[in-house]
Amino acid sequence: MTNVVLEGFDLVKRFGSTVALDGVGLAVGRGEAVAIMGPSGSGKSTLLHCLAGITRPDTGEVRLLGQRVDAMGERQRSALRRTRFGFVFQFGQLLPELPAEENVALPLMLGGVSRGEAVRRARGWFGPLGLGGMEGRRPGELSGGQAQRVAIARALVTRPAVVFADEPTGALDQTTGHDTMRLLVEATRGNDASLVVVTHDPQVARWCDRTVEVRDGRVLPGTGRGMAAGPYSGHDVQGHSGHDVQGRPGHDGPGSLTRILPGGNG
Amino acid sequence: MSGPLGLSWRLLRGGGRRGLLGAGLTAVAVAVSTALLIFSVSANVAFQGRAEREAWRNPVAVGTAAVAVQAVHKDYVRDRTVTVVDLAVLKPGAAPPPGLDRLPAPGEVWFSPALAELARELPAGELAGRFPEKVAGTVGDEALVHPGELVAVRGQAPDSPIMTAAVAGDPRDGFPPTRVADFTGAPSPDAQAYQALALIATVLMAVPLLVFGGAAARLTVARRDQRLAALRLVGATPGQVVTMTVAEAMITAAAGAVAGTVLYGLLTPLLAGIEIGGGAWFAADLWPGVPYTLAVLGAVPLLVGLSAVVGLRRVVVSPLGVARRETPPAMRFVRIVALLAVLAVVPTLGAGSAAGVVAVVLGLAFLAINLAGPWVVGVIGRITAGTARGPARLLAGRRLVDDPKAAWRTVSGVAMTGFVAGFIGFLSPASDLLGDADPATLRVTVPAAQASRFTAEARERLTAAGVPARVEVTGKGEDKLLTVEVGRTAGDGGTESGGGSATGKPAAEKAATGKPTGEETVAEKSAGPGTGRADEAVIDRARTALDGLVPGRTATSAADEERFGVLLLKDVGTGTVVVLTVSFLVAVVSAGITAASSILDRRQTYALLRLAGTPLEVLNRARRAETLVPLAVMGGGSIVIGMFCAVPFSISSVNVGGMTILLICVTLGFAGVIGAGAASAPLLRSVTADPAPRPD
Ligand SMILES: Nc1ncnc2c1ncn2[C@@H]1O[C@H](COP(=O)(O)OP(=O)(O)O)[C@@H](O)[C@H]1O
Ligand SMILES: [Mg+2]
Repeated sequence: MTNVVLEGFDLVKRFGSTVALDGVGLAVGRGEAVAIMGPSGSGKSTLLHCLAGITRPDTGEVRLLGQRVDAMGERQRSALRRTRFGFVFQFGQLLPELPAEENVALPLMLGGVSRGEAVRRARGWFGPLGLGGMEGRRPGELSGGQAQRVAIARALVTRPAVVFADEPTGALDQTTGHDTMRLLVEATRGNDASLVVVTHDPQVARWCDRTVEVRDGRVLPGTGRGMAAGPYSGHDVQGHSGHDVQGRPGHDGPGSLTRILPGGNG
Repeated sequence: MSGPLGLSWRLLRGGGRRGLLGAGLTAVAVAVSTALLIFSVSANVAFQGRAEREAWRNPVAVGTAAVAVQAVHKDYVRDRTVTVVDLAVLKPGAAPPPGLDRLPAPGEVWFSPALAELARELPAGELAGRFPEKVAGTVGDEALVHPGELVAVRGQAPDSPIMTAAVAGDPRDGFPPTRVADFTGAPSPDAQAYQALALIATVLMAVPLLVFGGAAARLTVARRDQRLAALRLVGATPGQVVTMTVAEAMITAAAGAVAGTVLYGLLTPLLAGIEIGGGAWFAADLWPGVPYTLAVLGAVPLLVGLSAVVGLRRVVVSPLGVARRETPPAMRFVRIVALLAVLAVVPTLGAGSAAGVVAVVLGLAFLAINLAGPWVVGVIGRITAGTARGPARLLAGRRLVDDPKAAWRTVSGVAMTGFVAGFIGFLSPASDLLGDADPATLRVTVPAAQASRFTAEARERLTAAGVPARVEVTGKGEDKLLTVEVGRTAGDGGTESGGGSATGKPAAEKAATGKPTGEETVAEKSAGPGTGRADEAVIDRARTALDGLVPGRTATSAADEERFGVLLLKDVGTGTVVVLTVSFLVAVVSAGITAASSILDRRQTYALLRLAGTPLEVLNRARRAETLVPLAVMGGGSIVIGMFCAVPFSISSVNVGGMTILLICVTLGFAGVIGAGAASAPLLRSVTADPAPRPD
């Protein structure tokens, strides 16, 4: 399983008497896009938080490239999230007082990159994501779709191993949501990053390599890890296999964004 | 409760724990403001009370229809002043003076409680011997400036020497026998000066308080912004939105105001212990009275409500205005012009300006600083963001540019304190100006014709009292100066009076420069500044022995005469400390509350930043820079402006004492604000700890 980037085993998480996760296992391959679906309250966000080192599971293990994430201290996990992971939330992750380009540059600056260099690299993401000319705008001056694309740039700029997205298009209308979602999938894939995305939209899930169904804190049979069909294939695979994407380690700009849709200024 | 009021009550309670915490912070801010506001109002009422209670001792002469003759003089015991009032009744049946249950008959004396106690404590030869009259009662509190005041009221016959002696003098030392129509009197100039100083102190305290209270009100609104914008979006009318928010802010403020009043009541015993004018306060002095209390209780929620309306205007005008954060319009330069305009007026003021005018100009300077503050903060922000290398400074700078008013609210308290400190620090006179005058040489003016008789009687009385002293008469003309050097034996130097002693040189100095006498008594050794208790006792024995020697006149030392000046300096020092303490409380509480509430306002963004791995240290460092950079610039600027405003009134050059106060202020200000900011770090940790922040 050399291609496994992130893996969760038997994850259990309780909040008081609520069992949010009841023994979930999930493996994410290199460059793979996994959609997590399920009804509200089924434990999707909790699963994502456990995998991303935000929450510690009560029992079970999370490994990033074989390294135990759940055993790390808060400081270490925080550093891990900053350097190895990227995040796209529904909304609100952009600092309203910072221009878009500085919002994107911030994670780099937190990693010690000089301000000039960080902003230069950040700007490189605006054109490919269809945000040309928006560099100096503040989040309040961007549409919802544009703001989410800035957030995608922010998540990818540090060239993370895995991008986590929790209903990233939940606050957008359907067309804009679909455009943004495809951009997210393409951009992560083009940058050799894996993607774990929580979504309600079956259409969105279709762009991912596979879908994992969560019900009452459990992964439905036939999805998740250890499936008969092979470790990294779920149902609804829509043609893109993460395995064939060529990563280009070492470069600092956006990767290939072959399928970026024009328009989409929702 | 029904209608908008009921809805806002539910809104307040339904805000959840964080919402309640926010409302609680506002209530705390309002409570602290209210308590201090009542204090600053009470200070004026208290000084007015003192002036009124003292008025009867400043007789106003009438030509006809006099009912009594009243004479007042100051006497001294230890390092305290005794006010002695002599009354001769001309027309029986007149109303007695305040504090006395009846008009005094000749040969009777009334003591204030403190004087009665002291007369019991000290040997009779040191104090009680001066009042051989029959003690007929106790002077009531309504006739006393402060509880510890030493006052004696004596009854005299209209023709007694003391009631006919023609003594002229400074009203500070007393009044010659004056025919009065009643015992109303008039407030003394000193008491009025204290009232003027109290008024200025009130302005110095109240303006920052009002600014702080207003800021607190806006906090409530800021947190409600989103919710209210949402209400607007679902169709609430602007009127409903305004009513609801204002009602909510006012409910919070009213609770805070009541709590503040209670807090003030609890603090009264502590505040009553502050010594001004030689004594502490009656507890009743610090009770501002029902009308003032009601006025404050009504005004505070009203001001908070008004402030809320102003803060709300944006939401009401545009429902989208809040949901969509846009680049705010740049602060206008007019703000600086206002400050410059006020400062241009300052040089026209002088020590002769009316206290009211000074108070108004000071108040305007305050408000102008408050206007200019956000503009300067915006400029600072632009510079900070432009030159930032690391993320913390960049965040801080951008935030300052984004909302300079919010940043200003955090530091305005300390900046205002800087203004006060600059003003007072520059003004306060050097503390070593007074204080080492000779306490052991008593002088009294005598008519030239009777000089030898008085000299002989003085020697006799001192010998009888067993007080070693050298008595001599100096000076030329109508009035001569009878000088008693306590501690020197009568034989030492005899009557040969040298011209050099007319200035009343200290005995110790003489001993050092003159020939050794070989008769070093204990008293002589320590007749200098370090006078011990034994010497005080000897001096008081001499005073008692000399009491009544010259009718209507008291033998006083140089130290006695500068006692008022020393007291005044001490009071200026005390006043400074009180005003600065109040300013600091306001500054630190306001810094703490704004810091906490800004975290609550931005909790979602902070939480998401933390989820994405932003170290809390970076956020805390950004918050610190966001406060400290404007604090340094505005605090320093305010101190300079305060000093500038003090220039027209300064009597002496800048002195060490004032500068020390300033330095302490600056240090405490920075430490306080850093501390207040640091205190909210756990709150930042806790609001960002929730792994699933939901928009609420
Ligand atoms: N911080 C929390 N405290 C208490 N209960 C929580 C917390 N987070 C999630 N839960 C509970 O855990 C369950 C799963 O929540 P979540 O993972 O957010 O569901 P989903 O994202 O699928 O809607 C729900 O019942 C939710 O109420
Ligand atoms: Mg969820």
